[in-house]
Amino acid sequence: MTKRYIRAVAAIAVPVCLASAPVAAADKQELQKILQEVQLLKKSYEDRIATLENKLRGLEQKKASSNKAATPASSSRSIKGNSFNPSIGLILNGRASSFSEKTSEISGFGVGEEGERGKEGLSIGESELNFSANVDDKFYASSTVAIVQEDGSDKIELEEAYIQTLPDAGLPDGLRLKAGRALWTLGYLNEHHSHADDFADRPLPYRVFLNKSFNDDGVEFSYVVPADTYIEFGGGVFRGDDFPAGGSASGLGAWSAFARVGGDIGDNHALRLGAYTLHTDVNSRATNEGAVTFAGKSNTYAADLRYTWAPTGNPKDKELILQSEFFHRDEDGIYNDTGATTGNVNFDGSSQGWYAQAVYKFAPSWRVGARYSQLLAADTPAGLVGSALDSAGHDPNTVSVMGDWTNSEFGRVRVQYNREELSNGKEDNQFILQYIMSIGAHGAHAF
Amino acid sequence: MLRKLVICSVALLGWVTSTPANAELRIFACEPEWAALAREIGGDKITAYSATHERQDPHYIRARPSLIAKIRRADMVFCTGAELEIGWLPLLMQRGARAKIRAGKPGHFMAAQHVPLREKPIAVDRSMGDVHPDGNPHIHLDPRNIILIARELTKRLSKIDAQNAGAYAQNLKSFESGWAAQLMKWQNQLHDLRNMPVVVHHRSWSYLIAWLGLKEVGSLEAKPGIPPTASHLQALLKIAAQAKTKAILRTPFDQSAPSEWLSQKANIPALILPFTVSREAKPGALQLLFDNILSLLRRANGQS
Repeated sequence: MTKRYIRAVAAIAVPVCLASAPVAAADKQELQKILQEVQLLKKSYEDRIATLENKLRGLEQKKASSNKAATPASSSRSIKGNSFNPSIGLILNGRASSFSEKTSEISGFGVGEEGERGKEGLSIGESELNFSANVDDKFYASSTVAIVQEDGSDKIELEEAYIQTLPDAGLPDGLRLKAGRALWTLGYLNEHHSHADDFADRPLPYRVFLNKSFNDDGVEFSYVVPADTYIEFGGGVFRGDDFPAGGSASGLGAWSAFARVGGDIGDNHALRLGAYTLHTDVNSRATNEGAVTFAGKSNTYAADLRYTWAPTGNPKDKELILQSEFFHRDEDGIYNDTGATTGNVNFDGSSQGWYAQAVYKFAPSWRVGARYSQLLAADTPAGLVGSALDSAGHDPNTVSVMGDWTNSEFGRVRVQYNREELSNGKEDNQFILQYIMSIGAHGAHAF
Repeated sequence: MLRKLVICSVALLGWVTSTPANAELRIFACEPEWAALAREIGGDKITAYSATHERQDPHYIRARPSLIAKIRRADMVFCTGAELEIGWLPLLMQRGARAKIRAGKPGHFMAAQHVPLREKPIAVDRSMGDVHPDGNPHIHLDPRNIILIARELTKRLSKIDAQNAGAYAQNLKSFESGWAAQLMKWQNQLHDLRNMPVVVHHRSWSYLIAWLGLKEVGSLEAKPGIPPTASHLQALLKIAAQAKTKAILRTPFDQSAPSEWLSQKANIPALILPFTVSREAKPGALQLLFDNILSLLRRANGQS
């Protein structure tokens, strides 16, 4: 049926195009010649067109009515974002890890549960279940549930549950509002789900400064400036429950601001730079499995850079990605390490962390990458000497190398080696084998 | 820190809003062929930007910051549709948050919605490769489609920019008549190419093949979007030789190895056909594109 339909349209299209030929022809002789030819063509096609048009009309009516009838989701077998309301996607990932050290402590930092080293042996990582859809013409909603194993039992973690305005919501162009729980704009990795990461684990600064990611409850706005260069800024207010905040008293314990610029350099290079800040009032934040607590102010400043180069313009074939982030944290408050019975100790100091990584896709399915991350702990006040917050002059660092194989955009297998020196004299050699597969709807990843 | 940021933002806003508004319509085209067509119909009333260049595979593009900036200020987004740009366009639209180009507005122009699509699959499963559920999206290589799309474009432009509707209609008229003359010229060359057996890399050429009446013997990709496998190429070698294949067609952005391998083994010339015009194409470039493709094909077929 389609074939006949195409032929019919084509048969109509050609002579109709030809019919208008003489109008712009400059040469009068040629014009007449063309006109004659067209007339001939026209005549010979006229009958056929008429019959075909009738057929077409009939077919279109039939098609329209059959389309209507076919609307129920059950009759559609295509996998499309829009075929289901909402879109459903499932991401599965599993890993096998081997570590040379029995324990892993990052000296000089209070580390939350998700910032700790992963499990040894065979395990499944977070299984992410995502539902998303446009609510109506003005709002989009998305929710991601992660099923994780903690303390021997499967737990459901609500990673994201947010609504976001659509271009038709009546806001000025370029302005968007997002509310709920989301992976907020902070550095590069934070707003990405970990399945999209280029390495099997998050770099050290994310582990200690954000407990893997900051996804508090809150509201954020962002505005893209109408300019030739990409400039976006925004900010948000949050409840103040999620690390680095903790147990806000007022339910409004954190705020953030950010700005980003970016653009192309020539045809095949792209660059983006960003600056971010996150301010939190910490009522009580427990880390190191409850042993270390902090109360006070914790302010995080971050900067990120991402550069991509696709030598042929096609990131599918070959691509180099350089990425780096820098974190600086000021904390002013009271630390207490019950493990080392320090009691309440006044603390006013700053710590830093950074990482830089390069990932190179040398063949369509194959990538290799290297990453270095390092932390610089705050000076230890006398009262905390010997506690988990005493770095003893050691700067925790990790060298990672990875290689991965991507069969399709929905499946990837990765091997990674880490050499972690997170506390003085402890060298942890880690091997990780990982798979990440996705089924169902899977939105495109941001730059 | 925050105060600085706020001051910077306000200053920036002031600078941006003080820039005189450009009277020309800004058209964000996903592919160079649509930017070229927009320039034919829009003339000096528009500026067209192509998000991709001619050596890029439009299936796989990163939603780069520069593209967000471009779409943020676009008055029309002119793309192929049929899920060709599914990996990047929705993201750009979302980030750009531009009301006048959202789906359903005249400024949201997906060309594939206005021509009949080929190869629409009955059932789709991801094990079949990158199949487009709406049908093959590489519509621009049938020159008859170009006219249908030019007409719809003119309608859209006239709706968005009623003031210049006359100019758009005039441009369409002269473009159509020029195109019709070309079609006639090409039509005369078609007979020689009819039933010319070809092997393709990806099904990028289906509309061209249908228009010219070539015979597609096989494709190097066993499944669309999945790189060719050795076993499939071995099987294809026999078929291609039996069918007396005249050429192996690929775009400038397809991998060269598979077609060069087959070319050597079967002694069939591997042909890189231009897939589209250049990013900054001037009026007339679309006609040249078809001229080039036809002359390359005729040469491969033993005609001059």
